[in-house]
Amino acid sequence: MSLFDKFSQLAAARAELGAEGTPPVATPIEDIISAAEGVIDGKRVILAGTNNYLGLTLDPDVVNSAKQAVDHFGTGTTGSRMANGSYSAHAALERELASAFGWPSAMVFSTGYQANLASIATLAGKDDFLLLDSDSHASIYDGAKLGNAQTLIFRHNDPENLDRRLSRLGADASRALVVVEGLYSMLGDQPPLAEFIEVKKRHNAWLLLDEAHSFGVFGDRGLGLAEHAGRLDDIDFVVGTFSKSLGGIGGFCTSPHAQLELLRLAARPYIFTASPSPAVIASTRTALSKVIAGTDLRSRLWDNINRLYRALEEFGYRLGSDKPGPVAAIILPDRESALAHWKGLLASGIYTNLMVPPATPKGLNLLRISLSAAHTPAHIDRIVQAFGYLRKAA
Amino acid sequence: MTTHDDRRNDRVEQAIRNAVDTALPQINGIDFDAALTSDVGLDSVQVMDLVMEIEDELDLSVPVEVLAEVQTLNQLAARLRNMIRGDSP
Repeated sequence: MSLFDKFSQLAAARAELGAEGTPPVATPIEDIISAAEGVIDGKRVILAGTNNYLGLTLDPDVVNSAKQAVDHFGTGTTGSRMANGSYSAHAALERELASAFGWPSAMVFSTGYQANLASIATLAGKDDFLLLDSDSHASIYDGAKLGNAQTLIFRHNDPENLDRRLSRLGADASRALVVVEGLYSMLGDQPPLAEFIEVKKRHNAWLLLDEAHSFGVFGDRGLGLAEHAGRLDDIDFVVGTFSKSLGGIGGFCTSPHAQLELLRLAARPYIFTASPSPAVIASTRTALSKVIAGTDLRSRLWDNINRLYRALEEFGYRLGSDKPGPVAAIILPDRESALAHWKGLLASGIYTNLMVPPATPKGLNLLRISLSAAHTPAHIDRIVQAFGYLRKAA
Repeated sequence: MTTHDDRRNDRVEQAIRNAVDTALPQINGIDFDAALTSDVGLDSVQVMDLVMEIEDELDLSVPVEVLAEVQTLNQLAARLRNMIRGDSP
């Protein structure tokens, strides 16, 4: 018996993906040429699986902000926000985030994962309830595990199913926190937000919207799906990440409830970790201003999205979402064909994400593409062309 | 004579069988004593789908915490019977 015996199934799943050639899991990226191109296996490729939706990672202003912060403040804060890790810039970023939403409070976390972990585990306590969409991201499930609330799962994107679960709670539903995402990262689909809001209001429950993949992408100022739907007033908490549209690393929670500030005293993933580095806070502040003013960036991104979705539909691919969005998930019949597509695209100079069970909902085998404002029309041409070859070869 | 408990047991067992048919149509004649992950080979997403079907069949909510504590369908059935009786899950 070994401590490692329990990983044998995972090891077997990885082995099934093949030991030869470029690994589809944790693919080594040898160099970054631009926000849209890199080098894999010595070959220049289009990066179409990096969640870099607005391409801000190499924006000169964003990069310069980080450089100046490193020069002035050093490489790290070396401490928790509760101790020596609260610099003026951390508080300034929190004010800027809260102000963007028009709300009184925002908290910044060291990763997006920790933002969900802290918010979910701390907001819902021992006598409270968590209601999670079945397709929730691991950080949401882990937040539930870290906390002490009773956790119930409702069917993915099914407000009626949520309604039944809240009905069973009766008056206790007023102590229930419902968690949904603005864009689900595996299938690229969106929630029926208006219907979920109606259900949560009917039961006096609370709603947390995770805008990790929708922030920067939806809404006139890029604040996410709730802004796009004109429903910010009906949301209790928005969680987001800095590691997608904002091009850095970190996360946030913001709320119209000023009492969010109390989480600073109780949220373990906020207290017991070092605060984000000065460089990442500085780059995120600059990126945030560009997201809010980023109408042109979003316009380029949506041109790319609409073009690719149209082409994939014309090729007859089955997609994870019928609404176009920054993630295009192609559902393939089995692991072998998903792997063959991934390899075929890489051979054509296009890096995408291979997603297979148990990481995917409903046991689906997916080829996942994420688009960027940094992709040029020529990049999209090449991606479409590569799919055309694969379709003909199938 | 059929007791109240027998009827409740039947109802729970039937709900589980219906849920298996719907959520796991590929599985024929599931063994109620088999471990769902190590013996039957289900992953965590499949177990979740199965439990959501059972919840709908019985019109009750099963906390996720219960799933971490049961390995077989018989163990799950016992927890469900407790919940229906009004005991803590």
